[in-house]
Amino acid sequence: MARRKGIVETHSYRTFLIVAAFIFILPIWARPIPGEALHMDIVNLMVLTGIYACAVLGLNLLLGYAGQISLGHAAFFGIGAYTTAILCTRFTWFPTWLGVILGASLAGAIGWLVGKPVLRLKGNYLAMATLGLGEIAFILFSQLKGLTGGTVGMLNIPPLSIFGLKFDTDIKFYYLVWAIVLVIMLLTINLVLSRVGRGLRALHSSEVAADAMGVNTGSYRVKVFVWSAVLAGLGGALFAHFQLYINPESFTFALSILFVTMVVVGGMGDIWGGLVGVVALTFLPSIIQVFPEWIPGIPESLTNFSNYALVLYGLLLIIFMIFLPKGLSYGMERGVAAGRRSAKLLLDRIRAHD
Amino acid sequence: MLRVEKLSTFYGNIQALRDVTIRVRRGSITTIIGANGAGKTTLLRTISGLNKARHGLIIFEDQDITNTPPNKIVKMGISHAPQGRQVFGDMTVAENLELGRYSRRFANRAEYKQDIEMVYEVFPILAERSGQLAGTLSGGEQQMLAVGRALMSRPKLLLLDEPSMGLAPKVIQSIFKTLFRLHEQGLSILLVEQDAKIALETADYGYVMRTGKVALGGDAGELLENEEVKKIYLG
Ligand SMILES: Nc1ncnc2c1ncn2[C@@H]1O[C@H](COP(=O)(O)OP(=O)(O)OP(=O)(O)O)[C@@H](O)[C@H]1O
Ligand SMILES: [Mg+2]
Repeated sequence: MARRKGIVETHSYRTFLIVAAFIFILPIWARPIPGEALHMDIVNLMVLTGIYACAVLGLNLLLGYAGQISLGHAAFFGIGAYTTAILCTRFTWFPTWLGVILGASLAGAIGWLVGKPVLRLKGNYLAMATLGLGEIAFILFSQLKGLTGGTVGMLNIPPLSIFGLKFDTDIKFYYLVWAIVLVIMLLTINLVLSRVGRGLRALHSSEVAADAMGVNTGSYRVKVFVWSAVLAGLGGALFAHFQLYINPESFTFALSILFVTMVVVGGMGDIWGGLVGVVALTFLPSIIQVFPEWIPGIPESLTNFSNYALVLYGLLLIIFMIFLPKGLSYGMERGVAAGRRSAKLLLDRIRAHD
Repeated sequence: MLRVEKLSTFYGNIQALRDVTIRVRRGSITTIIGANGAGKTTLLRTISGLNKARHGLIIFEDQDITNTPPNKIVKMGISHAPQGRQVFGDMTVAENLELGRYSRRFANRAEYKQDIEMVYEVFPILAERSGQLAGTLSGGEQQMLAVGRALMSRPKLLLLDEPSMGLAPKVIQSIFKTLFRLHEQGLSILLVEQDAKIALETADYGYVMRTGKVALGGDAGELLENEEVKKIYLG
């Protein structure tokens, strides 16, 4: 097979090394930022970022490469979380790592059940199907009291331990989660550069032609969707073992929209961009919450981020679709390039003046 | 080489093909002409497995290929250049060509080189533009790319859907000249066209389709002289 040893490949792997190095050293200098207003615990937020990144990487493939949208990824995230939470609290002997694997697998299986019939149809039926799935999952999480603890949720979830190694502090969990994210990144880069990836890119570019070339578009869409469900389930399971407590409020429609917003803000079909989107939007609430405290006489309701989160995500989606459809990272690249150009122009002017 | 027998294809409840029967002889150029919505595209899509046939048979080199999945059909030697060119706009010319042989999973690098050299020989302009994004090519160049991409899977039979669409007469002439050269080298071509004149002048055989049915069929030269064809399609 003709493998392209082009820019994509070297570029991706180099970026990978830079990101990996950055992640490795980050906790060393990132102390919690003290002070009245901006109390951010960077390591803690970065763990959450990594957890969300699992879900968003898969969704990014789905949106960017398979051209399909899921409005119910919170369901897979929740299925992963509840599966391992139920297993590990019911049976205290149950290995937590196995719970995580089963959680991700169950999410994938349900993704297959939903995606298989829907994705064979042309058009965007997946959006509707997943929207329904998200609502059903939320209702089940709240109503199956015997199993899920209802709206109160599940307490006392044991921390993750893998062969005797216990991940019970933020810093340990940080390294675990990011190791997992980096492995997923590698798998994703390889997927995108493989024959399957080329088929997906073709599918994204012209479905009619991809079909005609013999790319099995229907089955590729199903595979990408199932893979994205598995990754969301994995993220959810990790989430359960990190928070040690879950309730249905963590898996609402707002989370599904947050995932989609992360993909769009970061850049659809751009693996690294997706990561940028996750970081930006995971840190956003902590940054934004500072401002209401500074404005006197602001209504109580605006001091709580979750009250206006959906509105904000919606606005971001619209703004990005109109002004930066290729996402933040692409925009930054362009911005840097433009900055360089104008700086050079300015320098040339000054030189000409001398 | 290809026999289509009493083929019927539906979109939901709408019947797009009604008992269509055609033949493509080995080494021939066979053309299908007809007005908008006659079912020409549907016929090609059904042959290449993109649409399901409800009744009828498609026989290719003595094998029943009715409702065989598209990737298998490509492997058997039928290649389809879809209507409206449909190049992969955000990929380079070379990447487009590479996707043309997508179904040949285990083909090796030497074969790939050979195939791409062959396409570049047929369309030298594609060699010049190999690194350019396909979406930025001119209409004529995109059509050449679409044909070139279809040639990459080493087809025995090429299905072409309206290669003249939206192109200037000069460009059309040049593309049809190339098609004729490919035909002389032994490729069989099933050509769907709106431009009945150039199609019938290039082809050996022709069929006229009307509302999902084959209305007329015969030697291209005879069809050119046919009063009805003259009146309706050659105006
Ligand atoms: N995806 C579809 N769903 C429903 N009906 C369709 C679909 N595609 C085509 N048709 C219908 O089938 C009929 C035949 O269409 P087809 O595209 O095969 O015609 P055509 O001869 O290729 O026309 P043109 O010259 O305009 O390309 C038309 O009536 C069309 O409306
Ligand atoms: Mg057509």
